[in-house]
Amino acid sequence: MPSARQACRLLALALLVAALTACQPQRPAGSVIVATKNRIDSLDPAKASRVGVMQVLSALGDPLYAIAADGRIEPRLATALPRLSADGLRARIPLRRGVVFHDGTPFDAAAMVFSLERFRKIGTLGYQLSDRVAAVRATGSHEIELELKQPFSPLPRLLSAIFLTPVSPTAYRAHRDAPLASRFVGTGPYRLASWSPQQQRLVPWERYWGRRPANGGLALVTLGNSTALYGALRSGEVDVLLNSGLEIDHQQALHREAAAGRLRETVGPAMEIGLLSLLTDQPPLADPVVREAIAHSLDRSLLSRRVSLDIRPPLRQLIPPSLPGSDPAAWPDYDPARARGLFRQAGYCRGRRLELPLTFRSDIPSDRLFALTWQAQLRRDLDDCVALEVTGMESTTAYDQLGKGSLALFFYDWIGDYPDAENFLVPLLGCSKARGDRCLEGNSALSGSFWTSPGLEEELQRSSRIDGPQRIGLLQAIQRRTSRANPYLPVWLMAPVAWARPELSPPRYDGSGRVQLGELRREAGR
Amino acid sequence: MSRRRELARYVAARLALAPVMLWLLASLVFLLLRVAPGDPIDALLGPKAPAAARAALRQQLGLDRPLLEQYGHFLGQLLRGDLGTSQAAQEPVTAIVRDTLPASLELGLVALILAAAVGLAVGFSGIARPEGKVDLAGRLFGIGTYALPPFWAAMVVQLVFAVWLGWLPVGGRFPATLVPPSGSGFYLLDSLRAGNLPQLLGSLRHLALPAATLAVLLSGIFTNALRLNLRRALGSDYVEAARSRGLSERRVVLHHALPNALLPVLTITGITVASLIGGALLIEVTFSWPGIAARLQEAIAQRDYPLVQGIVVVVAALVVLVTVAVDLLVALLDPRIRF
Repeated sequence: MPSARQACRLLALALLVAALTACQPQRPAGSVIVATKNRIDSLDPAKASRVGVMQVLSALGDPLYAIAADGRIEPRLATALPRLSADGLRARIPLRRGVVFHDGTPFDAAAMVFSLERFRKIGTLGYQLSDRVAAVRATGSHEIELELKQPFSPLPRLLSAIFLTPVSPTAYRAHRDAPLASRFVGTGPYRLASWSPQQQRLVPWERYWGRRPANGGLALVTLGNSTALYGALRSGEVDVLLNSGLEIDHQQALHREAAAGRLRETVGPAMEIGLLSLLTDQPPLADPVVREAIAHSLDRSLLSRRVSLDIRPPLRQLIPPSLPGSDPAAWPDYDPARARGLFRQAGYCRGRRLELPLTFRSDIPSDRLFALTWQAQLRRDLDDCVALEVTGMESTTAYDQLGKGSLALFFYDWIGDYPDAENFLVPLLGCSKARGDRCLEGNSALSGSFWTSPGLEEELQRSSRIDGPQRIGLLQAIQRRTSRANPYLPVWLMAPVAWARPELSPPRYDGSGRVQLGELRREAGR
Repeated sequence: MSRRRELARYVAARLALAPVMLWLLASLVFLLLRVAPGDPIDALLGPKAPAAARAALRQQLGLDRPLLEQYGHFLGQLLRGDLGTSQAAQEPVTAIVRDTLPASLELGLVALILAAAVGLAVGFSGIARPEGKVDLAGRLFGIGTYALPPFWAAMVVQLVFAVWLGWLPVGGRFPATLVPPSGSGFYLLDSLRAGNLPQLLGSLRHLALPAATLAVLLSGIFTNALRLNLRRALGSDYVEAARSRGLSERRVVLHHALPNALLPVLTITGITVASLIGGALLIEVTFSWPGIAARLQEAIAQRDYPLVQGIVVVVAALVVLVTVAVDLLVALLDPRIRF
């Protein structure tokens, strides 16, 4: 029997535990908690390059243009699409009046010029602007002019990038040439109430020019692993969960919950692709017949089913289907008989097996699963012709080795900085110095394929000068041309997914693949 | 030479050697980071940024300078107490350390106190009847908790108490909807000083699972250390002498055996504290605890040279200080120790 003193201690401990578990903090009325795996190290748009920070900035700032869910370009801080000069080298953009920064200062052309110049100077992705724009100037109190280095038809799409959101020149006066990580003073529907890399609190901006947020504020939290994210939504600790960093099993479990009506699920437009890069300037992949054989040996449907539980649909093009220039069947389809024939043509199968080293990113769980599943699939289909030797390598090391031509076959993913086909073709195929079909310098070398083709670079450049159906035709032609050489093999498409608790409205995505945080609201009666 | 002077000489020698040790460590980290494969530019820009942009960023970060020049710059900064600026976060390293170190220390200290309380209580409980049921259970507890894989244990605790039962938060350090307390960075202390109950409860709720998990994992060390040393002490001559003087068993254990048995435990505590300064990585990662270990792991993945160097130097300096302090304390408590 415990003594009275022991009983008192036990009781005190039980009371403490009960108090801790019962005393859940009160949530401010109407506020919504959104969880993701992405840490926000800096809120400076000039330093933004990752998906997580772009999502937060989309609530705090406004771009000049936005891509609507149906793909249309809508003016936001601009009031109309750019007015181009006859030679296409000057673009005038009228700006919205009556917009106020979160510090109370007015938004005008000078502020926009300040922000764009600052981005060109210190932006991590500053090259996206400075490669295309020679100068930015104010041509009126609410009009700016961009002087382009060459005609650039995806200009409004580039200007829809949230990293180009304007910041208050007054608040950033001391940070004209230096980043400001812990604050953000922009024009968006929310203003920043508090920041830490793991937690940001956003409250509605009372003087916002547009539609006011449907909720009373946002709390954005970072949870470091997939189990924690999954558990936080299941237990109701958070209201909305974004799938970035969430393991496939957890995504599948949440999908089932949503199908059963216990959660709300929304899939956004896919802006991320998974692909294989083939080193085309070294044997054995220097032989286009071998590359074509590998292209036919890839059972995307099986891989999608086994690795991603059908969450990542198979992809046979480099451009996500929601973007202009899409060509859904550009790359060769799975055909093991044809693959065998091609391997034979290249001198394999008859007692000679191609040993192919495949490198995957060891810090991404699904990449490992992909490598092992493809290895098993090839063993099943073409065991006498080809065998994969799979090796894991940490991402940063692998990217370094990729550009040095050390990886024969590498599986990774790519997400465009802004939603345009150019952002998927140029980073993979661009080449500034070539010899024949071999790219010596440029994006194609950095991406590990070292492949180009005479005239391809000119076609890529022309595709960003022209517009409309002509451009779409050219983009499709570039894809077809690339698919015949197979320097890359698109594998699957990775769409953003958001899940919300049933008492919330279903999350909505814009055309850039970002959740419209301002539209999240608690629904009456749920 | 008097004992006090001996001790002073010993401490002075240890402290005088500390800068040399820190310099060696800092140099080693500097070199290893640059020898290791991977490029900070890839981590910051991804693999497909144009060569010109990569070159510009390399220049901006000073990575284009000769290695010796970079090393000289790093040492110069270090001598001035400047740890540099994080390449990824563009924040001073000192600010990042100031934000993350208190989180690790708070978690570590609370876990250590809990671990010592539980571990010593369990270790002590079997003394009355050695090899009895309680003693056996204590031994099993000691071995079991010591052998538990931390990551697995943390995941199970998280799943049971946070996901299934929903009693406590799954991760993080503070409720998302509250404003964290400002001050020292030790949330418990800051919220107590501010007299803010919601903040205190919020901090405690978030601290409970990671601290309890870490405490359970650490408690086995205390259990085993106390149990073994206490048994050894109870079989020693001075204890027999005390018993033969007719002292009660309670007095023999508490006043004669226990103080001697606790001395090695103090050394173990010192080593544990030193290891916890660097953070309990797996616990921090599992419970999304924003501590210095998780930050270091991320900095290594990003090849954030200044941040890795800065964290290693700060942690090493603290470890040196703690080990010297523990040596000093043990020497003060145990007159048998010679230097």
